[in-house]
Amino acid sequence: MNAAIDNHWYPVAMISGIDAPRETLLLGKKITLGCEEGTCWVKDASGNALPTVERFGHLWTSPGQPNRDLFTIPEADSPGRRLVDVGSVKVKCSPLRAVENFLDIAHFPFVHTDILGAEPHTEVDRYDVKIREEVDEVWATKVKFFQPQAAKSAEGGITTEYMYRVPAPTCSVLYKTCPPRPGEWDVITLFVQPLTDEWCEVWPWMALYDDDSTMSEMVSFQQLIFMQDRSILENQLPRKLPLDPGMEVPTQADMTSVAYRRWLKKIGYTYGAQLVAA
Amino acid sequence: MDWVAVALTEDVPAGVVIPSRIEDTDLAIWCAPSGRYHAWSDRCPHRGMRLSHGFVRGETLACIYHGWQYRENGSCDYIPAHPKLTPPSTICVPTYACTEADGVVWVSLHQTDSAMPDMGGRQPVRSMPINLSASDLAAHFGAEDFTTIAVVSDHDVLFAVQPCTDSACVIHALASPDADRSSVSRWLEDLRATLEGVPA
Repeated sequence: MNAAIDNHWYPVAMISGIDAPRETLLLGKKITLGCEEGTCWVKDASGNALPTVERFGHLWTSPGQPNRDLFTIPEADSPGRRLVDVGSVKVKCSPLRAVENFLDIAHFPFVHTDILGAEPHTEVDRYDVKIREEVDEVWATKVKFFQPQAAKSAEGGITTEYMYRVPAPTCSVLYKTCPPRPGEWDVITLFVQPLTDEWCEVWPWMALYDDDSTMSEMVSFQQLIFMQDRSILENQLPRKLPLDPGMEVPTQADMTSVAYRRWLKKIGYTYGAQLVAA
Repeated sequence: MDWVAVALTEDVPAGVVIPSRIEDTDLAIWCAPSGRYHAWSDRCPHRGMRLSHGFVRGETLACIYHGWQYRENGSCDYIPAHPKLTPPSTICVPTYACTEADGVVWVSLHQTDSAMPDMGGRQPVRSMPINLSASDLAAHFGAEDFTTIAVVSDHDVLFAVQPCTDSACVIHALASPDADRSSVSRWLEDLRATLEGVPA
């Protein structure tokens, strides 16, 4: 037992995808889950019921005793949004590497070429990052980047503004300029289920304003993006996320990642992290 | 272990980068447009991405993750997220001695004054991975060392062997200039099947 790791909520399934009871892994341990008569359940390997929350189209559980409720995303509740269950992708990397990659914009021109970024528009301007102590979350705001096709609904290149939020160690919420509705934010999340410390299941979820694209077009768009990310995530060395600041060299563009690593260290979240240089 | 063969030059033409390894050391082997070969640690100092997935641009190797470019001496030359910044000289990829001789790319993981192994005028045929450790392969042929193993066969073959793991190595095979490459290649595959205990 490690309270700093166990007492968090973790996504373990997309509710619409639970057709029969099944086994999965959470933090290296077997759990079973299912849904009967509209109620979902999760049990540990000994058959004990674990706490559950159904939110954002996903089933959440915790092997410990969460000392706070699962976070909320008030923006996602506003009417007119399409809620998109993207599905899942299993990735052979630390759950923390998956979250950190989601927080990064500087890779867009090279990994999501001609979609989320393109040379020569590679510069990352200074943005604001802070740990909001009152809610114990990492926030990056005023993040701006030029994008050839920011969303399925975008026509041509635009400068997109982003806000990033890390409300839990293996979850991130991204708010970005909404092409059809200036002044509103599209919400794209990355919910990461730590199967083990070097293997994770990633459940992206979206709450978008998009009246034109079909559901499968929006899902395909996000899956394409994530397949491109996976080619990176499975080829980083070491597989675990280094928390020792001497191990990897960040620049100003990496302020969100630096804050994320610092915050993980502060709250003692070491699952999937590498503490000593190697 | 001084010089170890890591590739045939024909498999790493100018502008190309490939992954390779010598025992526990992961390597990115690349050839600059100038024709110079380089063997680097396969890990970008920025976020640990394998540089062997990167791309050669001008006389630099760039990481595929964020496009950081590294000069031939391993020092970082350009960070696309900060185009006006001159990267500090401390951002540097560890590099190893690397040179080309007899159509083979040779790497030494430590400083060495020793000469490249003598290939006796033979020419490269092909590289072939095999599920057998380099030392077991050497033992099979009664060789003291795996760096070069001369094989008595109809083809006057010489192996330059690259140790990879406890159960795998790569044979870089050379043969006399008048040998028929395709029959040497078939002979190699039969040899592999025999050594791996798999029916040909």
